[in-house]
Amino acid sequence: MTPGLLRPDQSLRLVETYPPSAPARQAIIQVEDLSIVFDAPSGQVVAVDRVSLAVAQGEFVSVVGPSGCGKSTLLNAMAGLEQPFEGQVLIAGEAMRAPRPEIGMVFQQPHLFPWKSVRRNIAHGPRALGKPKAEALRIADDLIEMIGLTRFASAYPHTLSGGMQQRVAIARALANQPRVLLMDEPFGALDAQTRAVMQDNLLELRERINATIVFVTHDIDEAILLSDRVLIMSAGPGRILKDLEVSLPRPRSSAIVAEAAYLALKRDCLDLIRSEGRRAFEQMEIKT
Amino acid sequence: MRIGRRSSASARLSILVAVLSVPAFTGVWELVARSGIVNAVLFPPPSTVAVAILEWVRSGQFFADLMASLSRVAAGFAIGAAGGIVLGVLTGRFRLVSSLLSPLFHILRPIPPVAFVPIVILWFGLSETGKLFLVVWGVFFTVWLATHIGVQKVDRGLIRAAQMLGTPQPQMLWEIVLLGALPYITVGLRTAVSISFYTLVAAELAGAFAGIVYRIEIAQQNMQTGQVMGGLAALGLLSFVADRSFAILAERAVWWR
Repeated sequence: MTPGLLRPDQSLRLVETYPPSAPARQAIIQVEDLSIVFDAPSGQVVAVDRVSLAVAQGEFVSVVGPSGCGKSTLLNAMAGLEQPFEGQVLIAGEAMRAPRPEIGMVFQQPHLFPWKSVRRNIAHGPRALGKPKAEALRIADDLIEMIGLTRFASAYPHTLSGGMQQRVAIARALANQPRVLLMDEPFGALDAQTRAVMQDNLLELRERINATIVFVTHDIDEAILLSDRVLIMSAGPGRILKDLEVSLPRPRSSAIVAEAAYLALKRDCLDLIRSEGRRAFEQMEIKT
Repeated sequence: MRIGRRSSASARLSILVAVLSVPAFTGVWELVARSGIVNAVLFPPPSTVAVAILEWVRSGQFFADLMASLSRVAAGFAIGAAGGIVLGVLTGRFRLVSSLLSPLFHILRPIPPVAFVPIVILWFGLSETGKLFLVVWGVFFTVWLATHIGVQKVDRGLIRAAQMLGTPQPQMLWEIVLLGALPYITVGLRTAVSISFYTLVAAELAGAFAGIVYRIEIAQQNMQTGQVMGGLAALGLLSFVADRSFAILAERAVWWR
């Protein structure tokens, strides 16, 4: 994205929001000038282009953008699953070079171990970290109660619905008591009703755990409902366009979507995404 | 209604025909062999075969032959399968190990195990080790290839999830990767069951002192055609039972599918 392609007011906004103002609380996640490049048959593709951001301890931040904008790549870099081409990701002051157990991740698909019961799936992390079996199972049982699946503790994943599987996946990620929880479109594969229930569950859950959460989604409603801050990403190459504070009161529920403050915020987001989408589309037209 | 009745009648007929199929062909065989159209010494009737089998069992040789053959197949299968799984996990997971071993394995794999009989006799004589070697050789490559491919097809998401949970490398290999590849591995193992019987034939023909195929060969040299056919029947039944029980076992091993 070259500045010349932006309308003046847009570039002005970019200048206003970047670099991000130093967060009041201490940043647990620092992304500094991060670029990620993939080798594709047509040459190198810049998935993430010089992104900088900071997430404060305990914050819930969503990253929103069209598919293919590099938001999942950004999240994978925070997870240590993707290596930077340039720049770095620091979590708790330490560069991410490989996955670390204090950073949990929930994927779009539950990816539960199909040969393990719900209880053993959740106990997997504590066991892997060398906790005694009894303690790991106790942690699992507490989490199973928290996600309301006590009746299904000894069930196998393939017998559960998609929503239940994803709840188990969240519990499994929480079992290691992560300081940071990364969520990559965790409700994207669920139907609308289940998704709404899961969003409310996550809001409740969040009151009870103190992990910092980074949540990737393409659903603006979902992002505003859940987050303290929404980062809007542009496509090809992936950059952060706007950093929006969501100052709606908590506790929230999915009923919030009808409120005026919420709608105003959503309009801002949509305007930005629409003009960005038009820009990307026109750019594509010029190329072809 | 009419169509339903007719189709159920035709279904009943199919079952009846299936049940009568083997007895009918056995009857035809008996008639042909007794009619004098063919030489009954070379092509004995099933009744002669049955008498030969009965005699084989009564003499106690059958049990000894069965145990000799079964122990060769079982030991060869166990060693070949274990080796194939272990190396398949390593070559499937680590590119360097694969670069080292896969070219060699791909050259050796297409050579039919039977072709190794002459050199096995040179190396091991008529010992049990030589027979074991042939069965292991036949089983190993099939299981190795199935495991290698299975490991590469393990759901990447499963591995990433395990990585994020801090799963240590040994547990990653021998739990997540191995169980993730299990559906492929069981297919390879089942193919290897047939192969182990196939290599057993070569191993016993090359020279043995007991075994079902050994008995067939001896009977052939004595012109005991009934015993030859009885041996073939026993081998067929054994291989069939082994395949079916393995299929049932495999289904239970991958119960989550």
